[in-house]
Amino acid sequence: MITRKALNRRTFLRGTGAAVALPFLDSMVPAMANAATKTERPVRMAFLYVPNGIDMRNWNPDYEGKLTHLPRILKPLENFKEHFNLVSNLTHNAGRALLDGAGDHGRCCAAYLTGVQPKKTMVDIKAGISFDQIVANKIGSQTRFKSLELAMEDARQAGDCDSGYSCAYTNNLAWRSETQPLPPIMNPRILFERLFGEDATLSPEARKRRNQYRLSVLDLVSADAKKLTGELGPSDKRKLDEYLSSIRDIELQIEKAEKDNSQIDPGLDKPYGIPADFADHFRLMTDMMTVAFRADLTRVMTFLMTREGTSRAYREIGIPDGHHPLTHHRNQEDLMEKVAQINTYHVQQFAAWLEKLQSIQEGDSTLLDNSMIVYGAGLSDGNRHLHEDLPTLIAGKGGNRFKTGRRIVYRRETPMCNMFLTMMDRMGAPADDFGDSTGRLEGLDLT
Amino acid sequence: MQFSSAGKPPLGIVYDSDFGMSAESVLALALLRGFAGKNISRLVGISISSPNLKAAQLCDVVEKYYASATTGMAAMFFQGPPLGLAEKGKTADSPLMKAVLDLKDPDGKHIYESRIADINDTAVGQVVIRNMLMAQHAGNAAIVSAGPATNLAKLLMLRGAADLIQDKVKFLVLTGGDYPKGKSETNFTADIDAIRKVLADWPTPIIIAGRELGKALPYPAESFEKDFSYAPHHPVADACRVAGSSDIPAAALAAALYANQADAGYFKLSDTGTLSISEDGASTFQPSGDGKHRFLLFDPEKKQQIIEKYREMVSAKPVPRMLRRPPQQNADPPKPDPAKPPTAEKKS
Repeated sequence: MITRKALNRRTFLRGTGAAVALPFLDSMVPAMANAATKTERPVRMAFLYVPNGIDMRNWNPDYEGKLTHLPRILKPLENFKEHFNLVSNLTHNAGRALLDGAGDHGRCCAAYLTGVQPKKTMVDIKAGISFDQIVANKIGSQTRFKSLELAMEDARQAGDCDSGYSCAYTNNLAWRSETQPLPPIMNPRILFERLFGEDATLSPEARKRRNQYRLSVLDLVSADAKKLTGELGPSDKRKLDEYLSSIRDIELQIEKAEKDNSQIDPGLDKPYGIPADFADHFRLMTDMMTVAFRADLTRVMTFLMTREGTSRAYREIGIPDGHHPLTHHRNQEDLMEKVAQINTYHVQQFAAWLEKLQSIQEGDSTLLDNSMIVYGAGLSDGNRHLHEDLPTLIAGKGGNRFKTGRRIVYRRETPMCNMFLTMMDRMGAPADDFGDSTGRLEGLDLT
Repeated sequence: MQFSSAGKPPLGIVYDSDFGMSAESVLALALLRGFAGKNISRLVGISISSPNLKAAQLCDVVEKYYASATTGMAAMFFQGPPLGLAEKGKTADSPLMKAVLDLKDPDGKHIYESRIADINDTAVGQVVIRNMLMAQHAGNAAIVSAGPATNLAKLLMLRGAADLIQDKVKFLVLTGGDYPKGKSETNFTADIDAIRKVLADWPTPIIIAGRELGKALPYPAESFEKDFSYAPHHPVADACRVAGSSDIPAAALAAALYANQADAGYFKLSDTGTLSISEDGASTFQPSGDGKHRFLLFDPEKKQQIIEKYREMVSAKPVPRMLRRPPQQNADPPKPDPAKPPTAEKKS
């Protein structure tokens, strides 16, 4: 007779001022559940946005169909080419000037997930609700956070960031409403506290004690963890142990960054606790994104790798020039080469994250299989500010629904919003239309 | 191209046709390019209503010719907006398409090469039209339709398109039928549902250039031997020579001319009314005060003038133009008025 009672999916390890959500464990599946229930996992969705376009000569393969040899910028994804689709010819008409003149960086970022042309202003900003927030509003009640918005560069919200476009346009991806962007979190400590902390519930004494001794969040929940471990089978014990270790690793990375407190880049302000190295910062943020997905803290995330139009230098790879000026290379080979190097460096970081997502088993599939991770930009050629053939890569199978490992070329001017509609279907938040959509994106599904 | 700081630019024209199926469709494109070259209008978008890849390739060859002639080496760099092509189905390749696309030099090398290799190098017709209209000032666009109304009907079905048309499109000029009654007509029979939808739902005035007008104002065949001698090969002339030595009936040219110079008095207009299309593609125009449709009427007194204008614009030699406007300078700056003291210069 089977008597084991399934562990609640929403179980938290709690301690004073901390709450750690659990990853999917076998014990959470009722013993009598049917096969479909056992294998069903939520689909997650994330957008990683890179600014200033991409060197398309080194992004687009010269073939369609099954991915074989990858162009230079995508080479770091060689081991994952079975796990993503490269989608060509998607366009954001709303990013174009239409009648608003200069300001392609401001427009392309604001239009990217909202699908509407933003109002050219530095004061009374107006775009539209972004499609990730429509999804979050629909399914967000099932998770602790409706969505998470992250970035790696300062998220100034006021001032002129591009030819009369407010910085709110270049520094945000997600919009709660047509007038309310959702400023992203860039500080790892703040993100960590958001994911695991319950500081609001702490008494002043407890908060003081915690800060004084720099207690790990795991120390705070240790009693719960110990109790739970005793109730788990060997496989779940291993999973839990590995999961808690990954959280501890994140904590150590944050502490190290706080201790280092060195400058990211001469001339640029660096808030306290931000890792000096770009790759370290990226790894830390994506480690927490992994945990957030794994523990089903949220199913919707957006990540502005650096703000649109950024002039960040990449001394980490020997490039002291600003990113944005470099992209206006006027076809000078030496400048184009540096742009390609920056683009490749970004994809290297992305590949490391995909490796992590792919390494996490969820039943018969992986966390990556159950996700749709879009890597893309709001411009294709940054030199000419083109809004067509936007570089777009969708990693993951969207819950084993997408057939991956292909380059799919659509007809020119195919609205990017068509892809959003398809993703909304997969996220359980279908809509009739969005932005300038003309239908779904055909050809992604297995059938 | 942006003109926001310089006031309204010339009228923006979208050309939708069954390109390459007839010589008149090619002539109309040449005429539109001729007017655009003189800054009388702008050709802002092209869509093809017959789903034929060779039609798109022929159109691209013509467009590439004008682009290379006007912008030189930069033609490949500035490819311009994509060509729209109707989505599904297939029409047979026409002799015009073959005449141009298969034309080779004595060494066996193609004279003309298209940048379009497959369907993904084109865009969906109605999407191109919508996107191009979005970039026009209110009331500063017109559409010339010389073929099945497939793309226009699908445009009307896009969310928000009716409002967009209402806001941007001054009028639609389409070819087909006869005034006041016409027999079965290919432009209509090719997509009966589409033309009916457009005639019923198009939110701004519709002007019709009927077949009888095209016959009354044919494009002279002699033009291809006389007017294009500035180029050893010209895709418009090479395509239209296929039509032989007969003059070419060209309602599409009348439509394109009207779109460019509606107020020039080349044509009279019928009273308003409603054009209806029967199942077999025959048409009937019923005058009515509240109708949205009007026919262009032939004026024999204007025939010579119109034909000359056709020839001038269709065969106009493309003029090289600069990619960037030079700084505005007065060739002859005004002399200071000695009676007035000099004023400080304003900074913008």
